[in-house]
Amino acid sequence: MFLAVFGSLLPFEHWTFVYEDALGVTPFSPGHILGTDNNGYDLLTSVIAGTRMSIFIAITAVGLGGLLGSALGITAAFIRGKVDLVLSTAFNVGLAIPNLVLALALVSVLATNVDMTEVVPIWRRVTVLVISLTIVLIPILGRIARGATLTWSGREFVTAARSMGMRDMQIIRKHIVPNVLPALIAVAFLAVGVVIIAEASLSLLGVGIPDGGSWGGMIARGRNDLEYSPHVLYIPVIFLAITVISTNQIGEVLRGRLDGRESKV
Amino acid sequence: MSVNFDTPRGSLEAVRGVDIEIPAGMSVGVVGESGSGKTVMCRAAMGLLQGSTVNRTGTVIFDGHELTAMSKEQVRELFGSGMAMIFQDPLTALNPVRRIGAQVSEGLRIRLGMSKSDAMARSKELLELVRIPNAAAVLKSFPYQLSGGMRQRVMIAIAIACNPKLLFADEPTTALDVTVQAQILQLLRELREDLKMSMVLVTHDLGVVAGNTDYVAVMYAGEVVEYAPTKKLFADMRMPYTEALLDSIPRVDHKSGTRLSVIAGRLPDPTNRPAGCGFAPRCKYAQDKCTTDHPELKTDPDGHIYRCWFPIGEAL
Repeated sequence: MFLAVFGSLLPFEHWTFVYEDALGVTPFSPGHILGTDNNGYDLLTSVIAGTRMSIFIAITAVGLGGLLGSALGITAAFIRGKVDLVLSTAFNVGLAIPNLVLALALVSVLATNVDMTEVVPIWRRVTVLVISLTIVLIPILGRIARGATLTWSGREFVTAARSMGMRDMQIIRKHIVPNVLPALIAVAFLAVGVVIIAEASLSLLGVGIPDGGSWGGMIARGRNDLEYSPHVLYIPVIFLAITVISTNQIGEVLRGRLDGRESKV
Repeated sequence: MSVNFDTPRGSLEAVRGVDIEIPAGMSVGVVGESGSGKTVMCRAAMGLLQGSTVNRTGTVIFDGHELTAMSKEQVRELFGSGMAMIFQDPLTALNPVRRIGAQVSEGLRIRLGMSKSDAMARSKELLELVRIPNAAAVLKSFPYQLSGGMRQRVMIAIAIACNPKLLFADEPTTALDVTVQAQILQLLRELREDLKMSMVLVTHDLGVVAGNTDYVAVMYAGEVVEYAPTKKLFADMRMPYTEALLDSIPRVDHKSGTRLSVIAGRLPDPTNRPAGCGFAPRCKYAQDKCTTDHPELKTDPDGHIYRCWFPIGEAL
């Protein structure tokens, strides 16, 4: 997280700077704490850049997916009837398609140029990646929001609020959202981990961020030189693993807190 | 008014042709066993039953307004300041994640358009009105920090916040123990007199009704089976069901060791009603006619209403 926020302020050369005198240097060498890869890219700066990219993509996708997913899920559960039927079916269809395949399809359709010779700009790749991952996340978080809303909207205090003359929107805002939010936040942290892995997988498959701009990209680049300089592969993998484990852990702790609180009320 | 629910087993007639009048400033008790339609009737009257499976027919007239003909929006205008409801279980009727102050002041802000600080100040007064000690601290508490009795007082404060003309109290004391029950009922009685409210007091406890209401409606299987001024009902009941209900209450003047009489059997299946009187299979006075013909409401010259072919006190 620290690296993600302050990475660009650290006094390093840009991650694409090539150290031609130090190709494939092992970690802990002078000047290159994590070593360089066979093309002379410094791995520390690459990892920092990768962290920024991966976490930016993950948080944006989870944020957007969470916002849209929970809005749809809460609406479905609150209105019930036909709206619920349509949205739930859509969620289930979305869940039935394997995440990676869906994202892969979306990315490859949206982020390719008709003219093969023209390079797809990186911002477009990132945007498309975020959009695809968001689309993948909407049904996951939407269903959780729907489920949580269902358990709360049937409660007496919703009827009580109605008997006080509250409008549906006010009831959703003041009575449903505060109750549903903790569950969503806990799941959102788990989703961040899932998205980081999904993004890495896509990059590894060559449709994500190209040329080592993210962890997945670094892994993709490093796997070719596994025999000669394995650290090029290991370093982004370690960072990725640590981050995913941390987000999962945070998610678990939040969920534990939540369950404890829920048993109290 | 009637209420039907569509269920997989067919149409469930939860409330069937209930026709009662709640005189202004009076308190009407609604008694009946669990599942007799008391709660559904109150909620239907306020229009709080929602969903595609609910069919409400008939009319609800409140203060000259025909509620069933009004839009949801118009009815909502009456909530709080016109009608309000106290719910059965104060634990589930309060939102667990919001502070008491926010929940009490909500109605004030929505209905009366008070500012946040005014509404909070008024909320504190309301909590004091329902005799909550240390009201300022309670405003900042969450529901789980309060006892059942306190929570029910909070519910009452919420319900009376906008000075409703008609208060539905749906088993306000069921979830509470006996000593707290008495306090809450006392409180409701005083508030009703001070604020000149009409009240519908729903309960399954005839004892509660006896001391707190002016009129009583006895409900059985979704129908009103007896309706009379409270004193008259207890002095001269006509409906065998009411008698059976009263007999099932333990009495001090019974010899100790007397077996408590129970009403054998259960309510009729509301999706498949019997042709005759719903109470006939459980009634000790039942005759052949009771199982074949559904009794209509009869009215005594003094206004006492009942639904029975062979009412108590009439020569058989």
